[in-house]
Amino acid sequence: MIFSTLEHILTHISFSVISIVISIHLITLLVNEIVGLYDLSKKAMIITFFCVTGLLITRWFFSGHLPFSDLYESLIFLSWGFSIFHIVPGFKKDKNLLSTIIAPSVIFTQGFATSGLLTKMHQSVILVPALQSHWLMMHVSMMILGYAALLCGSLLSVAILVITFQEIIQILGKSKNLDSLNKSVDYVEIKYMNLNERNNFLRKTSFSSSINYYRSQFIQQLDRWSYRIISLGFLFLTIGILSGAVWANEAWGSYWNWDPKETWAFITWTIFAIYLHTRKNKKWEGVNSSIVASIGFLIIWICYLGINLLGIGLHSYGSFTSN
Amino acid sequence: MMSLSPMKMKCYSNQCLPKTHFLKFNPFPYPYTNYAANRLHTLSFTINCNLKNKGGNDLSRKILLSEASPPPLTIDNDDTVNLPASPKNKKAPFGVAKILSKKVLQILSNLPLAIAEMFAIAFLMALGTFIDQGQTPEFYFQNYPEDHPVLGFFTWRWIFFLGFDHMFSSPIFLGMLALLGASLMACTYTTQIPLIKVSRRWSFMHSAEVIRKQEFSESLPRASIQDVGTILMGAGYEVFLKGPTLYAFRGLAGRLAPVGVHIALLLIMVGGTLSAAGSFRGSVTVPQGLNFVVGDVLGPTGFLSSPTDAFNTEIHVNRFSMDYYDSGEVSQFHTDLSLLNMDGKEVMRKTISVNDPLRYDGITIYQTDWSISALQILKDNEGPYNLAMAPLKINGDKKLYGTFLPVGDINSPDVKGISMLARDLQSIVLYDKEGKFSGVRRPNSKLPINIDGSEIVIVDAIGSSGLDLKIDPGVPVVYAGFGALMLTTCISYLSHSQIWALQDGTTVVIGGKTNRAKLEFPDEMNRLLDNIPEIVESSL
Repeated sequence: MIFSTLEHILTHISFSVISIVISIHLITLLVNEIVGLYDLSKKAMIITFFCVTGLLITRWFFSGHLPFSDLYESLIFLSWGFSIFHIVPGFKKDKNLLSTIIAPSVIFTQGFATSGLLTKMHQSVILVPALQSHWLMMHVSMMILGYAALLCGSLLSVAILVITFQEIIQILGKSKNLDSLNKSVDYVEIKYMNLNERNNFLRKTSFSSSINYYRSQFIQQLDRWSYRIISLGFLFLTIGILSGAVWANEAWGSYWNWDPKETWAFITWTIFAIYLHTRKNKKWEGVNSSIVASIGFLIIWICYLGINLLGIGLHSYGSFTSN
Repeated sequence: MMSLSPMKMKCYSNQCLPKTHFLKFNPFPYPYTNYAANRLHTLSFTINCNLKNKGGNDLSRKILLSEASPPPLTIDNDDTVNLPASPKNKKAPFGVAKILSKKVLQILSNLPLAIAEMFAIAFLMALGTFIDQGQTPEFYFQNYPEDHPVLGFFTWRWIFFLGFDHMFSSPIFLGMLALLGASLMACTYTTQIPLIKVSRRWSFMHSAEVIRKQEFSESLPRASIQDVGTILMGAGYEVFLKGPTLYAFRGLAGRLAPVGVHIALLLIMVGGTLSAAGSFRGSVTVPQGLNFVVGDVLGPTGFLSSPTDAFNTEIHVNRFSMDYYDSGEVSQFHTDLSLLNMDGKEVMRKTISVNDPLRYDGITIYQTDWSISALQILKDNEGPYNLAMAPLKINGDKKLYGTFLPVGDINSPDVKGISMLARDLQSIVLYDKEGKFSGVRRPNSKLPINIDGSEIVIVDAIGSSGLDLKIDPGVPVVYAGFGALMLTTCISYLSHSQIWALQDGTTVVIGGKTNRAKLEFPDEMNRLLDNIPEIVESSL
């Protein structure tokens, strides 16, 4: 009983804190010079991180196995993955940008996990024989960290596409009212420009208007972020798939079975491999690679939820008795 | 203070320790260089330099520099480097073959082609999950009928023509994979290996204009290029100094690792092919206490499969048992196996379970399935009788086994008796001849139950262990590929940063670029450049 109460408390705290973070981001988008608010959102993300961590640990403690065994637990772990990408010190710079992407992702995954859709899954289940392996931790944690990173990165790519297409729409003169919003976004970005970029800026602005320059700077920034995060996610995904294959060879005697889940994980891997290759060609950087990453975004969801929820094929890892 | 002798500088990060010492020059700073042959002589120079830190202490040091001249670089190392032109062959037939193979290589190593191949493979795999695989022809006739084609054209004819009912072994899919493998090889050969050769070289830039064109560039007035070198060394860069020009790089492994990624992928493909062509597989359900011979179970999967001596091994199932959670669910299955050689001598004994297979002489035995083979009962203290259990078909993924003990006249046309049902080896549910529930007994409890006038004791429930056997020569290769892929993918995350600098009067022009960490690079550079001491006029 104490377990479920604790779990409820932690879920609610993290959920409400993350809602506050999102409101803060909306406020900073409109009124951008309140530093206190920015600090607050940083702290709030840390609180969320600890709440989700606490949630996972209580679940681990009370169920006696690592909390990766079903969809609910993996969703919670996914939102933990999102928040850890926010916390890790390597990504100190330009956190505001990343935070605007991450906070809603956390709230969506948490909201989905705790919503009525999956209530019957909340009860932690026992581990079937096939899941009782040390590979479980390695495989599932790597896969979900990979998904979290790839989702973040591909969302940034989606943002690039949105901004680029807005530009096209503006050229067509169809939406002038969006201009003001863009200006405010671009204005925030000036803060992050360093001296060197300003030098470039002086050279480049001789022929282009400043607003276009800021936009291209912003897109470049997003592009570099998404490349960096997707590379990291790809690394996790690779380790995750390979450790899964080794595990499968231990448990079922075959390292690759073309099971729908496996196949889709491989499709995801292929798509992001394509993304990484499009980066090799300077002409394709930007819009083309963003389109690939956006396709990847959809495919991760098909792989992660679609296969389980839509019931394509019979994916029943661990249902040892169902042959 | 600087001895500005004409110098070529090669030094290590540890030379930045605030100590005065000579370091032994190592002509092979990294293992992958082999340009020593190009080097004719190695000379050493010594410079002293002063580093003015913000703290104010002057750190005097000597840096050992050497005449470690790199091969002169003519090609700018960029991401797209073509194969260096091979010496022209004068013989015509060879020449034609060479041109042809070069053409094929060029086409195969084309990046858009490789991307198209990957897209095609991804699409085929997705299709393979949407079309149910390995069904009977009737299934496809029903689901992809000719009068209602899916998407207006897709009927069962397409499926059978293209082999999409077994997508992952269809010629189209395997062909695409082979094509991708060929592209991988071509790309590794024509683009990546030359890249290694180029990135090993040290390239100096002699024009401030070129340096300023780099992704990051900065001009430092009143600075000395030696200080820049020292600072960069401190940050882990390999620094090369030649006269007024400087070249430094870091994280070269990050540039070379993608070659390793490609090779690892090829290794996995080779291993997969070997697995498909040279394996033996088989599965068997053995009741506790019985034997089987490995060779009887295993069947070849491909044309390369050839039997080994291990096929004569006989396997005896000593015991099959199940562990349960408190709630009654199964938690683990165990089978105690003895391996006997031709002479009947035990060569190995192990209790296997799910996730813990037995490996012996190339054979791997997995615990994959189970069933209940028989119930051992005493009827009115007679017996024990073995009643064979039969699997009953029910909906859902739970197993159910049942058996029947006739009561009364066995030869009568409608014989009646006691039914016994079991879901696992824990408990047996008994029903009387009217079909009414009469009780539950655990095996080994020795507690008798009275049904229809006869006293029944359930002595034991005998389980059968479902075992999968496999001989797969591809696994070591695939595992090697897996290990290499993980390692090289991790290394690929490292960023290869290159920095050029040029002393232009008292100003140092610095430019740099990096291939991955483009976000962090300018920050890092600015932080490093902040540490470069400003030279006071008098000291020059």
